[in-house]
Amino acid sequence: MLEIKNLSVSINQKSILKGLNLSIKSGEVHAIMGPNGSGKSTLANVLSGKNGYNVSGVLNYNGEDLKEIPVEERAQKGIFLAFQYPLEIPGVNTNNFLKTSLNSVRKAKGEKELDTLSFLKLVKEKSSELGIDEKILSRQLNVGFSGGEKKKNEILQMKILDPRFSILDETDSGLDIDALKIIAKGVNSSRSSKKSFLVITHYQRLLDYIKPDFVHVLSDGKIVKTGCSELAEELEKTGYKKLN
Amino acid sequence: MIQNFEINSQQIDKIKKITKEEKNFRIKNLELFKAAGFPNKRLEDWKFSDFKNIIDDNFDELDTSYASSSFNKIDLLTDFDHNYIFLVNGNLHSSDFKFEEKNKIKISSYDKSINYKESKNPLICLNHALADNGFFLEIEKNYKFKKVLVIYNFFTNNIKNKILNNKNKIKLNEDSEVHMIEYTINKSEFKFINNVYENIILEKNAKLKNLCVQAGQNDGFFHKFLKNKLSFNSEYTNLIFSSGAKFNKLDIECDLIEEKCKCNILSALFLNKKEHQEIKTRINHLAQNCNSYQRVKNVLKSDSKGIFQGKIYVRDIAQKTDAYQLSKALLLDSDAEFNSKPELEIYADDVKCSHGSTSGSIDEESLHYLMTRGLDRENSTKLLIKGFLSDVVDFIKNPSIKRFIENRLEEQVNGY
Repeated sequence: MLEIKNLSVSINQKSILKGLNLSIKSGEVHAIMGPNGSGKSTLANVLSGKNGYNVSGVLNYNGEDLKEIPVEERAQKGIFLAFQYPLEIPGVNTNNFLKTSLNSVRKAKGEKELDTLSFLKLVKEKSSELGIDEKILSRQLNVGFSGGEKKKNEILQMKILDPRFSILDETDSGLDIDALKIIAKGVNSSRSSKKSFLVITHYQRLLDYIKPDFVHVLSDGKIVKTGCSELAEELEKTGYKKLN
Repeated sequence: MIQNFEINSQQIDKIKKITKEEKNFRIKNLELFKAAGFPNKRLEDWKFSDFKNIIDDNFDELDTSYASSSFNKIDLLTDFDHNYIFLVNGNLHSSDFKFEEKNKIKISSYDKSINYKESKNPLICLNHALADNGFFLEIEKNYKFKKVLVIYNFFTNNIKNKILNNKNKIKLNEDSEVHMIEYTINKSEFKFINNVYENIILEKNAKLKNLCVQAGQNDGFFHKFLKNKLSFNSEYTNLIFSSGAKFNKLDIECDLIEEKCKCNILSALFLNKKEHQEIKTRINHLAQNCNSYQRVKNVLKSDSKGIFQGKIYVRDIAQKTDAYQLSKALLLDSDAEFNSKPELEIYADDVKCSHGSTSGSIDEESLHYLMTRGLDRENSTKLLIKGFLSDVVDFIKNPSIKRFIENRLEEQVNGY
């Protein structure tokens, strides 16, 4: 699904990722852990197509050079980023926005666009599946949402847009245990042989609920260690210092 | 550049049924206009809208003779039930109050009284000198309109280079209410100037809500001076969605003369190529316990220019005044310009007055967020624009009228 080779990323002449290699196959869940400032969010941003970065190396997504694909087309091709800090967009109704984006994704896939009724039915289904109050979708996008509501809204968006490759950028930060379970449920219920996930987190706690196939440690712009889920437990005990 | 522009006082002679007093008033105002000429940026009130310069750039000649009001039938709005007043080139053409008790409403050609103060605004002087049509609407005591009143402000195609001067008056007697929509339809393919003086009087407990909107883009140059007088517990609301004209200056002066009056002025504008729009307000808090609220939102594209000059004046006896003012601009291009001049002049010591003004460009982070959900840059931008203007649109409570305004805004934004 995703092949990253020797990825180097800098912003304003400051080098952040320094030759990162990562391969994610269909159906796999990868977790990336690492100390603050190691480049985790930069990796997420670069994969989503955010402007302002100087990117070199290979970024291959299902046979295409991701670097050449604009942000919205990445989304249309099934890449989804759950933001670490979802933005508040005043005046934009969450449901209307989500319907427009879902339809632009469906259109790009050659699927029929959903009318309002079928869309609302889908929303109801997905939100009750996750145990999220669908009322948050009739409000302005993330405006006045609590931290937990924002993160839950990201996962609900993920469920509705139904991407092939999802990146969760510290979605678990600042969440209580119930919200954490909702996030995990969102991922676990979507896991299939056709879908992949990249879960960026600081804590092993999330990985108790989402069992990753691989755990990577990102440090100073590179993956310095890769293992299975036990690696996360080990890190929880020893911290990152020992790795350096 | 305008060549040989001269207004002859003989034009005043052509006005029918005129008293000697009125004639003198007109001649005096004509002299005032001639002495001052079209207002330019040297006048403080016109510092951001150099009208003389704008007129010189757009007209080679000007014609102050009166325009005929013949026209072909136009299609009335079908979006909602409404009464209407039909103006053609500012002239009262016809009216229909089919949803109302007709004996409660008086409509006539403009009010000929000349109880107007001398003005420093040359365009008002010009209006006082030459205005010979318009309308006078009066609503009887205790009468509340059942349906909205649309004022179709229709301009024909035979007004090339004309300056049309109109005078309107709206009077709401005690406890009366009306919701109006001023809908400007411009069939003129040519440039013209419309110069309006409007007087609004709200008696005790009266409520007037007005909404102004233009049908599409046009080459009209509009100046309107609104003089409002609010009595005890009356409420005036003006929602301005008048994008589309080449030039539009709305100068609103509101006197809150008795306690518990409310004055709300809100605007959501999307200005495009070469459009120039100014909203100038002066809210005079002259009695205690009154409330004024101003919220102006401008989205500016291309080389458009938006201006907000808002003044809150609080007289010494106007204690417990609550006055709020905010202007926000979203600039889409580097050539776009927004000027804001908030002013507070307060002589009372127990008041709550606030003002704020911001301007900025589209937030790239927000744009990125929307784009990661599959929307392209253009549609994401449109969504942010509509979101930016939405809090003003949300002031419209009637769903079909709200949809009508949203559709007009949508047309403006989609032209983007």
